[in-house]
Amino acid sequence: MTTFHLQIYTPDRLFFDGETENLIVRTTVGDKGILARHEPYVAALPIGKLKIKLNGEFRTAAVSEGVVKVSKDKTVILVQSCEWADEIDVERANAARTEAEQRMQSLQKEDKDYLVAEYKLKRAINRIEASKLE
Amino acid sequence: MASGNMKAIKRRIKSVASTMQITKAMELVASSKLRRAREKAETGAPYFEKLYEMMTEIAHTRKDFSSDFTEKREIKNRLFIVIAGDRGLAGGYNGNLLKSVLADCEGDENKPHIIAIGRKAVEFFEKRDFPIAGRYPLLAESAKTADCGDIANIAINMYKNGEADEVKIFFTAFVSPLVQDPMSMPILPIDSDDGEEYPTLINYDPSPEAVFDRLVPKFAMSLIYCALNESFASEQAARRNAMENATDNAEKMTDELTLKYNRARQEKITNEINEIVSGANAI
Repeated sequence: MTTFHLQIYTPDRLFFDGETENLIVRTTVGDKGILARHEPYVAALPIGKLKIKLNGEFRTAAVSEGVVKVSKDKTVILVQSCEWADEIDVERANAARTEAEQRMQSLQKEDKDYLVAEYKLKRAINRIEASKLE
Repeated sequence: MASGNMKAIKRRIKSVASTMQITKAMELVASSKLRRAREKAETGAPYFEKLYEMMTEIAHTRKDFSSDFTEKREIKNRLFIVIAGDRGLAGGYNGNLLKSVLADCEGDENKPHIIAIGRKAVEFFEKRDFPIAGRYPLLAESAKTADCGDIANIAINMYKNGEADEVKIFFTAFVSPLVQDPMSMPILPIDSDDGEEYPTLINYDPSPEAVFDRLVPKFAMSLIYCALNESFASEQAARRNAMENATDNAEKMTDELTLKYNRARQEKITNEINEIVSGANAI
């Protein structure tokens, strides 16, 4: 199968740089599959999962907010954080989840920190879900 | 008389030597921190560059592109994000940066709001009664992107509420291990409009504006993160240079003092011989 060049950047490193056959990514408007020779395309990404087909097998990764850009020569994904599903520390994610839940209970919805806690909860749940997929 | 003088010189030599030990140690610590800081600064740069490239591209897709974040308003209130160090003894690092901030707001009717990063910045602006929107001492060394995200959110909210019509960041650019320059850069409004239109056939999902607005917080976050890492590298480089100079000076001083000490010792011996000889002559 034809492959295309994919790069995934996070603020502190280049997470992935290589050829892939197929990329499935969740955008703000729904899941999107990208194959080689896709039209130029840009979409925002919420907290979610993405799948990359490498040597005929899909690998899952948990990502949080960013953007995907498909251009002629390569596809670039910029995300806040990115982790392979099989490398996720489930215990830590569970701990983060309980902590965020407790924090949300002790806060009012109008509080500024409520949104922060909610965001953390979403990320923790996303990571737990992703680790189960692998 | 000569022996009292000798004692004093000896004490000086001792104290200079122990100071030299400290400056030497600080120099070594700063250079190892500098190496790590530079690596960190370099790994973060590509993310920022790609993001910036994408945003300019989006802003150029249509002539009538508009977003709250690119609109230029009349500037009444400003917000400065100032990155300085946590500790002194870094040559002109803190002083130069803080001076450049003061120079920028000279003649302003209202003092700008400040988000102070680093203990030196917090102290400086508190003492001068600037309105402070955020204090982040002791952040630079182990900065996480999440911390920078918090700072970016404060800035973006103030911009949206109209509490600030312009957001600027002050940091120290790392030019080379010997040269670090204080710099300022506008964050908001985003200056991406040069009146040109580059029609590209990119499909934006759902729309260029929606993607752009979602990218703004990421852009601000990563700009702050990069500036913070670069400033930290600059701080270490500045400290290393300052400490290197201090060590050199201390070395020179001990050399001079040792010379003085030897002279005094020689003088004392000569005097003693004189006394003995004249004593013997008297007998």
